[in-house]
Amino acid sequence: MKRRSFLKSGLAATSLLAAPSMLKPAFAAAPVTIHGLKSMSGAFASYGQFAEMGSKLAVQDFGPLLGAKPEYVTIDTEGNAGKAVRKVQEAIQGGAKFFDGCTLSSTALAVGKEVAKGGGVFMTPAGADEITGSECNASTFRWTVPTFGAIQQTVRPLAKELPKAKRWYTITPQYVFGEALLSAAKDLFKELGIEHVGNSYHSMQEQEFSGYLTNAMAAQPDVLLILNFGGQSSNCLRQAVNFGLKKQMTILMAWTAGLDQFQTLGPELLEGVYLGAQYWHQVDTPMNNALVKRVKEVYGITANYPLAADYIGTKVILEAIKKAGSADGKAVAKAMEGMSYDGPTGKETIRAQDHQVLKDYYLLKGKAKKDMKDPDDLATLVSSGQSFPTGDKIACKMA
Amino acid sequence: MKRLMTSKGLFGGTTLAVLAILVLLPLVLPSATLATEIVIFAMAALACNLLLGYGGLLSFGQGLFFGAGSYLSALAMIHGGVGLVTALVIAIVAGAVIATFVGMLSIRRTGIYFVMLTLAFSQTGYFLAYTLSKWTGGDNGLLDVPRPAFALFGFDLVDLKGAHAYYVFVALIFLGVYVGARRVIDSPFGSTLVAIRENESRASAVGFDTRHFKMLAFTLSGAVTALAGALYGMLINYVPLDNIAMAMSENIVIMTVIGGTGSLLGSLLGAGTLVLMGEILSSIWPRWPLVLGVLLILIVVFLRGGLWGGVESLIGRMTRKDEA
Repeated sequence: MKRRSFLKSGLAATSLLAAPSMLKPAFAAAPVTIHGLKSMSGAFASYGQFAEMGSKLAVQDFGPLLGAKPEYVTIDTEGNAGKAVRKVQEAIQGGAKFFDGCTLSSTALAVGKEVAKGGGVFMTPAGADEITGSECNASTFRWTVPTFGAIQQTVRPLAKELPKAKRWYTITPQYVFGEALLSAAKDLFKELGIEHVGNSYHSMQEQEFSGYLTNAMAAQPDVLLILNFGGQSSNCLRQAVNFGLKKQMTILMAWTAGLDQFQTLGPELLEGVYLGAQYWHQVDTPMNNALVKRVKEVYGITANYPLAADYIGTKVILEAIKKAGSADGKAVAKAMEGMSYDGPTGKETIRAQDHQVLKDYYLLKGKAKKDMKDPDDLATLVSSGQSFPTGDKIACKMA
Repeated sequence: MKRLMTSKGLFGGTTLAVLAILVLLPLVLPSATLATEIVIFAMAALACNLLLGYGGLLSFGQGLFFGAGSYLSALAMIHGGVGLVTALVIAIVAGAVIATFVGMLSIRRTGIYFVMLTLAFSQTGYFLAYTLSKWTGGDNGLLDVPRPAFALFGFDLVDLKGAHAYYVFVALIFLGVYVGARRVIDSPFGSTLVAIRENESRASAVGFDTRHFKMLAFTLSGAVTALAGALYGMLINYVPLDNIAMAMSENIVIMTVIGGTGSLLGSLLGAGTLVLMGEILSSIWPRWPLVLGVLLILIVVFLRGGLWGGVESLIGRMTRKDEA
């Protein structure tokens, strides 16, 4: 064999041997990417950090999807709706289809519109009823129980537990979310024969509640129903306890952020207070037990609400992509409609009509320090159940 | 270089620099949407600069004009079915009218009292938007803000749905506003404003009606800020309540100070710095506003002319070295 022929043959053989490895990347499926919308900076950064842990864990623990390992990209919403929308627009221009997260209702509502325009899928744990109500759309899904369910699953069981408590006073933030909680509470008061002895409205930026608490004391109610949330509900409870209200009446916070908030309040403040929650780590369901164990292994903490909500939100999108066998946004959204799965609260179902996840809401009661088995054993489960608007009460008119 | 930057021609000098920056922005940044946000906030900072840099008036009411522009143009499009040009004109007129009203009452006082009055008006506007939730969406914001095509006499000329098309549209408006602002600054009106900033009593003593001049500056500033607000609402197809919040006024003032008070080009630098800092640093460190705070302190203490002042002194040093 001539030297030139030998070199040619050698080159050809090497090329043939190398061909499969060269072809593989060319034909390998592009990985599915989930975009996590998290408040990594700004006023809600502490919430965003946990939500980020949840979404990351869901993607990390999911097996191959459509022939490749799914990937995860964080979009920092900076706790600012305008910034979040602009970043989502950019991601959609870059081909992004699947989004999970948003702490703030305003951000979730605006992001949902953008994702719908791009034909993607967006799962959110945000609180505004409009997300699966008047502003619903084909792309947006919501995991959290709306205000109607939160009131039904806290006021109703507490009224049953305290049959003599017939005088209730409310403290309400005067914005869309607070008004929705108050309206649901008033309807239920009427049904249960409860006398609504008064309400104090406060502004969005209020942190000083002594005036409202004095009004509540003057009305001599049996139950004080606190309808704000986050830092405002924490401050309201702190001041109520300082005023000695816990000894004079029962206190119910209908919408709490769960463990993360309870840890900052501590057992001295929480003892005997009733608390509404979307998630509780001690709920005994197979998926929740597995999640709590896994979170402890990976992060060394107890699973809390933002972590669990964004974990399951992300996991559901991944499961739907698997079910649809496609990364087409519309096909995945279709697959999610009516989907049932094992969630942290037990069996959860996505209602096709309004894209609302039907799941349990919890009534908890703050424990005394002496009764706590560990530092996160801050509350005991009183009751749980599902309440959602049905029939004509569903405000969503899907286009 | 120095001659180019200090050229007095309306379409030369810094206008050329602005044109170059506007052309380069979408090319060097990861997206045209980000570039559009920078240019819109630069417009708001430029309007603030007219007041702070040239008139010496520190206004914390800029968020009110920005928010009013956003809401009123959006509502006109949603409920009135008006087109893009009409919506922008509505924003400009509304901004001018509101600013005239705020100015009429605020400029009666000077110093801290003036600042407090603009702050009070800003807060009033915020709570008004928050209270009128049936119109503004309250804390949920105003959704479904359209971005209509650029049309004249009923004919759609340019579809602005694409990110690049909208950037070009906003950049052209910015360029127009910039040239207009330079014209104002270079006019006797601009010189009088500077005279008022330097010594109001002396300006008054030589016969200028200082209130009248300050009011006019306020009206101009309000109109341009409202225009920026309207463009921002169309960019994100949404008007968040944040648009009219105190934080918006703060951000506009910070952009102006960082870029350089008394420099229209500095507004572009200031807006770019603040938006890009948030973009880059927020993913690295959640507490990035701390860096912003340090930067603001450094600029106020060591770089009184802001970033543009620093650039100018650098150009000055370089050209002096070349001449030597």
